[in-house]
Amino acid sequence: MPEIFIDGKRYEFEGKPKLLQFILDNGKEVPFFCYHPEMSAPANCRQCYVKVGTPVQNRETGEYELDENGERVIRWFPKMQTSCSMEMTDGMVVHTQESSEEVARAQKDTMELILINHPLDCPICDQAGECPLQIQTYKYGPEGSRFEVKKVHKPKRVELGPRVTLDAERCINCTRCVRFTEEISGTHQLTIASRGDKNYPITAPGMEFDDPYSLNTVDICPVGALTSTDFRFKARVWEMNQTPSIDITGGKGTNVDLWTRDNLVLRLTPRYNENVNTHWMPDEARMAYTKFNENRISRPSIKADGDNQIKTSWNNAIETFAEKLEAVKPTDVLVLGSAHASVEENYALMKTFSTWGVNVFHFSPDVKKGFGDDFLLTDDQAPNTAGVKALGFTETSTEDLKAAIKSAKVVVLLNDELVDRGVLDSEDLKKPYVISLATNETETSKSTDLVIPITCIAEHAASYVNVEGRIQRSLPAKETKYTHRKLDLEMSEGRLDRYGTNFDNWVNEDNKVDCTPTWELMNNLGKRLGLSVQFGTSREIMDEIASSNSSFEGVSYEKMDDENGIQLTGMNKEEVSV
Amino acid sequence: MSFDWKSYTPVIIPDIPNLHEIDVYTKNGGYDSLKEVLSDDWDPTKVVNEVKAANIRGRGGAGFNAGLKWSFMPKPDGGPRYLACNGDESEPGTFKDRKIFEYNPHLFIEGALIAAYAMQCSAIYVYIRGEYYSWIKMMEKALKDAYDKGFIGKNILGSGFDVEFHVTGGAGAYICGEETSMLESLEGKRGYPRVKPPFPAQKGLWGRPTTINNIETLSCVPLVIKNGADWFSGIGAETHPGPVLYGISGHVNRPGVYELPTGMPVLTLIEEVAGGMRNGKKLKGLIPGGSSTPILRGDALEGVNMDADSLREAGSMMGTAGMIVMDEDTDMVEMLWRISHFYHHESCGQCTPCREGTGWLEKILLKIRNGDGEIRDLELLIDLCSQMEGRTICALADAAAYY
Repeated sequence: MPEIFIDGKRYEFEGKPKLLQFILDNGKEVPFFCYHPEMSAPANCRQCYVKVGTPVQNRETGEYELDENGERVIRWFPKMQTSCSMEMTDGMVVHTQESSEEVARAQKDTMELILINHPLDCPICDQAGECPLQIQTYKYGPEGSRFEVKKVHKPKRVELGPRVTLDAERCINCTRCVRFTEEISGTHQLTIASRGDKNYPITAPGMEFDDPYSLNTVDICPVGALTSTDFRFKARVWEMNQTPSIDITGGKGTNVDLWTRDNLVLRLTPRYNENVNTHWMPDEARMAYTKFNENRISRPSIKADGDNQIKTSWNNAIETFAEKLEAVKPTDVLVLGSAHASVEENYALMKTFSTWGVNVFHFSPDVKKGFGDDFLLTDDQAPNTAGVKALGFTETSTEDLKAAIKSAKVVVLLNDELVDRGVLDSEDLKKPYVISLATNETETSKSTDLVIPITCIAEHAASYVNVEGRIQRSLPAKETKYTHRKLDLEMSEGRLDRYGTNFDNWVNEDNKVDCTPTWELMNNLGKRLGLSVQFGTSREIMDEIASSNSSFEGVSYEKMDDENGIQLTGMNKEEVSV
Repeated sequence: MSFDWKSYTPVIIPDIPNLHEIDVYTKNGGYDSLKEVLSDDWDPTKVVNEVKAANIRGRGGAGFNAGLKWSFMPKPDGGPRYLACNGDESEPGTFKDRKIFEYNPHLFIEGALIAAYAMQCSAIYVYIRGEYYSWIKMMEKALKDAYDKGFIGKNILGSGFDVEFHVTGGAGAYICGEETSMLESLEGKRGYPRVKPPFPAQKGLWGRPTTINNIETLSCVPLVIKNGADWFSGIGAETHPGPVLYGISGHVNRPGVYELPTGMPVLTLIEEVAGGMRNGKKLKGLIPGGSSTPILRGDALEGVNMDADSLREAGSMMGTAGMIVMDEDTDMVEMLWRISHFYHHESCGQCTPCREGTGWLEKILLKIRNGDGEIRDLELLIDLCSQMEGRTICALADAAAYY
């Protein structure tokens, strides 16, 4: 197998990897800005310099020539090489900044040049704290600057499009954003304008940067030149907690991170998963965070007189729920699952009601024909359509659903905005007694008789099956009235949780929603109805599903975490597509 | 040198009236070399070998053997192959190719066609700097005439060899004279130099094998075919032979383009050919081959000849033979600042050391020029140049740092 020596250590490699990627893959580090593993390597930042040599081979025999000490004779490249564009060859010898003063010096030189026209406004820059330029300057940059003349001034606060704002002075011209629109999203909306130290990325005159994936350029920008117009100046990176989760606005199951501070989700960013979305996510999905904070239903509500809902106690809500059920036969009850809710929630609902005597479970798919593309957007607007189907819910058309509601006396509706997305009219929900388990206040929840608040994806650990039959899970990022960061072991600890004092960790109790997970609600209802159902944590529920439903065989939270999601057996894209 | 330059007869831009007209050109033996090459006596390999033997060293600045460069083209695989002709000529001090465009465009066209035949190219692109608007128009006219006469197009002169010929105007960027950014520009993109490898011979225009030659280099080709490689390599300096267009500018009495053999003593060129220093001043400095070649001191030019070896010994390069002569009144700081201003203005901005370094250099030099310089600025200048040299994708930063 071909070998390479990096800083005196021998590595084996296969194929033709590029040097920088190989170094990074092997847990070593070389600073870089313009390189991105998903895109072409333009080698324009000149930061990833290394010293490279190849062994001298005898032309006839192909054997390595040896010096008097029996060491291979190395022919060094006369210039420093950019490791991002360097193709590895057998026997290559590489010195990074770790083992060569010369390389460290070259990197420092480049860094000095990158910084001369950079405004160094880190204290007011959104990127500070997660800025490759800032981090690598501290690690590899020069101390101080010899630049005593005037910096170049360039346009600031340029609204490139509806979602992205440019500060051209911070730009270091790595062209990652330009290459993203050329190579990944294919819209070609950005280019570099002007020349030399005056150049910066911009759209064609009069054009908007409205690429459906435009915010990815903000993520890959190695400085604070491109910022999200929505997130700008909202929070410092180090004040936030980062929690892995799943996008709930589409069927692709894009892996995301939820960034929370003070119990509010402030932004979503893509999380790398090579099997799903790699480094990217659609702009559409990023705005989902507002649903986790705004218009949340806190405490149950009940229709008291006419159409007016008033807040009520949990006891009264459960009692009313049970009484309404006890007043009718199970066949008069319509239970609607939801592709917008997780596997565990749908399972708890189904199990409780089937124990009580209901046999048929429906759900209404949420599909917008023609919405998807061949990248990360799907026609399916719900994150868990395949999961609900695999649990045994029946996919029901609008007509059938309306008929079923008409003939039912009690309707139990799991978090699904049927009225808002135009499946039902609020008039349709007038006749039966409708109990909705909902996260947000919507036209749908307003049209129902009893509203019981449940946790949203940001508040519970639960799993979702994407259009390709891949099951992935979320982790709780926000506390509810009944959970606590320090006590819920699934919750991530941010820097402030770990190191902050109580004064740093200002927590606004108003941001905590009074809601419970569906399975806990089902526990309470089951207890009141005298049913033999008892659910533990969502982790235990998944174990139960895995042992009882063959579609979910072998699934567990541990495995999902280890493997970044599991492809369910017997499910492939064709089968589960809606 | 005992060579009597006054008896030399120009061959690249000979003294024939209206030679730019195709009828005049053909009447004077024009396109005969093309006809000969396309006859059965010749095949592409033979042309390449002949040109290689003539040792035409590239006139665009690098001085690389043109025939050898042609032989780097991979074997034809049925796909398109290109010849790109570099007429960007934006190097300060260089103005020789415009003479060819103006006085003998068909010589260049013929040379390009022979080159295309030798490398079995399917299309030729000539990239002319945008400021040469009238010469772009002239070239278009000359190409149309050549098309009409059947020298370009399908089945040229009944030989079965097809080639298309296109003219592209630049948009005023110096960097588009760098061969790979010229390719980018030809493809309609921003003129950013490419990372090498892959070299253009492997992946050039639209990812296909491409050779890039200077206009003057290609103009030598028909002469080599007509007179033989030995004739060509017998002219001028032994290691750097042939006729060459010297573009002499600056503080001389008769600036202009002079066609003479290579290896001319620098002082003969200045004192005799260009009519001596203006107002009888003393020579202070000389940039021998366009602004990208290192400057030589006026008192160190004795015995220096205009060929690659002699100039290397003296510490400079042949470049494009665009000589900038400066007299004793020249303010060297001003000159240095002006050149660094040029490189700052023309840096494409693709890679860091050049983008940031050229601007910094200019700002320091401006400070010195304005009389605010400090000794540490000199140290910084030297340091900066070493930070830029050899650290970029193309050679612009190297050129900027030579000063």
